[in-house]
Amino acid sequence: MRTFNLPDLGEGLQEAEIVSWHVKEGDIVKVDQPLLSVETAKAVVDVPSPWAGKIAKLHGKNGDIIPTHSALVDFDIEGGATAPAKKEEAAAQKPAPDAKKGTPIAEDSGTVVGNVPTSNAVVAETAIIRKKQKKDPARVKALPSVRILAKQLGVDLASIEPTGKNDTVSADDVRRAQGGGAPAAAEAPATRWDLPAKRADVKYGVAEPMRGPRRAMHASMTKSRSEVAECTLFDDADIHNWQPGQDVTVRIIRAIVAGCRAEPELNAWYDGEKLERTIHERVDLAMAVDTPDGLIVPILRKVESKNAQQLRSDLNRIKEATRNRSVSPADMKDPTITLSNFGMMAGRYATPVVVPPQVAILGTGGLRYDVVPVMGGIEVHKRIPLSITFDHRCITGGTACRWLAAVIKDLERPH
Amino acid sequence: MAKVTMVEAITMAMAHEMEKDPSVVVLGEDVGLNGGVFRATQGLQQRFGKERVMDTPLAEALIAGISIGMATQGMKPIAEIQFSGFIYPAVDQMINHAGRLRTRTRGRLHVPMVLRAPSGGGIHAPEHHSESNEAMFAHMPGIRTVMPSSPSRAYGLLLAAIRDPDPVVFLEPTRLYRLNKAEVEDDGKALPLDTCFVLREGEDVTLVSWGAMVHETLQAAAKLGEEGISCDVIDLATVAPIDFDTILESVEKTGRLVIIHEAPRNCGVGAEIAATVAEKAIYSLKAPIGRVTGYDIPMPLFKLEHDYMPSVERVIKGIRKVLEA
Repeated sequence: MRTFNLPDLGEGLQEAEIVSWHVKEGDIVKVDQPLLSVETAKAVVDVPSPWAGKIAKLHGKNGDIIPTHSALVDFDIEGGATAPAKKEEAAAQKPAPDAKKGTPIAEDSGTVVGNVPTSNAVVAETAIIRKKQKKDPARVKALPSVRILAKQLGVDLASIEPTGKNDTVSADDVRRAQGGGAPAAAEAPATRWDLPAKRADVKYGVAEPMRGPRRAMHASMTKSRSEVAECTLFDDADIHNWQPGQDVTVRIIRAIVAGCRAEPELNAWYDGEKLERTIHERVDLAMAVDTPDGLIVPILRKVESKNAQQLRSDLNRIKEATRNRSVSPADMKDPTITLSNFGMMAGRYATPVVVPPQVAILGTGGLRYDVVPVMGGIEVHKRIPLSITFDHRCITGGTACRWLAAVIKDLERPH
Repeated sequence: MAKVTMVEAITMAMAHEMEKDPSVVVLGEDVGLNGGVFRATQGLQQRFGKERVMDTPLAEALIAGISIGMATQGMKPIAEIQFSGFIYPAVDQMINHAGRLRTRTRGRLHVPMVLRAPSGGGIHAPEHHSESNEAMFAHMPGIRTVMPSSPSRAYGLLLAAIRDPDPVVFLEPTRLYRLNKAEVEDDGKALPLDTCFVLREGEDVTLVSWGAMVHETLQAAAKLGEEGISCDVIDLATVAPIDFDTILESVEKTGRLVIIHEAPRNCGVGAEIAATVAEKAIYSLKAPIGRVTGYDIPMPLFKLEHDYMPSVERVIKGIRKVLEA
């Protein structure tokens, strides 16, 4: 009979609690076979058998707290042949790794917490310190994206002559290879559009304060949007019958005067707060002129009283003045109606914006050749597209239509 | 030639150096009478005396601080921290003094010390006993960080660490301490620091690992080898500074890289390896770089630690993903 005492499970702990027995009385056990699990202050650990033999008696049951070095298991050791000598028994009770070879005693678990996995298996391994190797010249260098492209196009990267940076195969190389080695054809899909150069005069991505005419535009357009009930009417004037040498702008101005003779309500000021309207006899025509600094709107005074030559010289003068920025505020004060001749660049119809207290603005688009039905047949006539916006708070649709009809009638006269 | 476990190889290396060089001393909690919590200093006090194998109070900052002081004055201390989770009080000493004294004194003082600590999980230990904090040390300038993955590398690299004129943090994978044995000759031959070891040569994919995960990585490589997939398996060994020459050369050959580490993924050493390979070998990459790592959580308590640590299956899955990309 041998008694196995609870060994010191580490860090000088005084006791351990039995969690569960893995053997029962009468069992034959081998060396290192787990006898029971005990819980110390730190972890649950298995306690292995120090000897081979038959379990005679278990001291304690699950949940019992066993002081270190007190009796745990009694063994019947067979034949006494492997019965440990006294010294070894002491070693078994206080495990040490230096136990003599072949003596079946408990191994030191080698840790105070947990369970360090242990084995006597000898592992052979090779560990090479690699010397610098010669680079394989056949090695392909390519970006992962190029490799994916080659995979998608079914191209073998190794077969391609690299032309990219650092001797890499480029995406173009892959596409060329896929095109069957015809470089010119493969280059067909242009990578860049043929676009005009970036504007050098524009500051991209920078918030700039609005100045001068642009500030004025902001004020007048905001006022218009908040006050005027705008309605726009579109039509065309057929100028097929014009005699040669007609001045288009002068003809349009004359037509506006004609319209205002027929329906003077469009040549007026309207005060929405007082609900008052003032119809003017004189036609002080504001001309919207586009400049690099913004919209400038000088005025041709009393156009109803002028002839073609006078109007042309007035037009040239204000054109020059806007170019020089020499238009005075007085030149832009109190127009009675506005003309926006926007069609010089592009655009057919528009919805021009009425600037109060005016009540109407005429927009003229670009002159163009239109297919028109003429007496059951088709002809191509030159026409001027017209857009008249009026303030519907004080002008009826009928008035505006009649005004536009009078404008068209005058424009369609041969001279 | 002796067949020894990793922990025995570590004891052997320390004993060899203590025998040869009287300036080598060992200190730490329970390293003397008790032989160390993992028995790494077993028998050293009996053999070399209490003057050279010193039990210290339970004070990690003191252990590191005393070692730094001794090292600057001509000793070669080997300090033991019981568990990597208790290393943090010593980190201040390591960052602010061990790693900087050479710079601070313009080379007048240097710190030839080794800070040994067990590292990693897998032994069913409680909290604080299973940390993988090598990335933290790898990030500190002036300190070498070394993690052996076998008895022979533990022996050779620890010798090199003791002999190195500058501080080395030597992190020993607890799980490998007694996992198996290898024939290690106690011949005092050091292995080179700052050098990777190629454990298996292959053509299809480069696997880089260190510490205990080398074990799973080798098993994964062996399994894939049965399918005809050949892996170049690299043991990083010195975690900082990294031997990028070996890694880059391998990646240029295979075109694919999988990094395997037990530590959390976020800002792990794997991230540094992946970044450098992306910088220097992107033209050779055939697939995105893969990482198989622990999760970004504290190491779980022992019932779940095997779900946390990359298993052979997880490593194989990670390799396949990169092979199929």
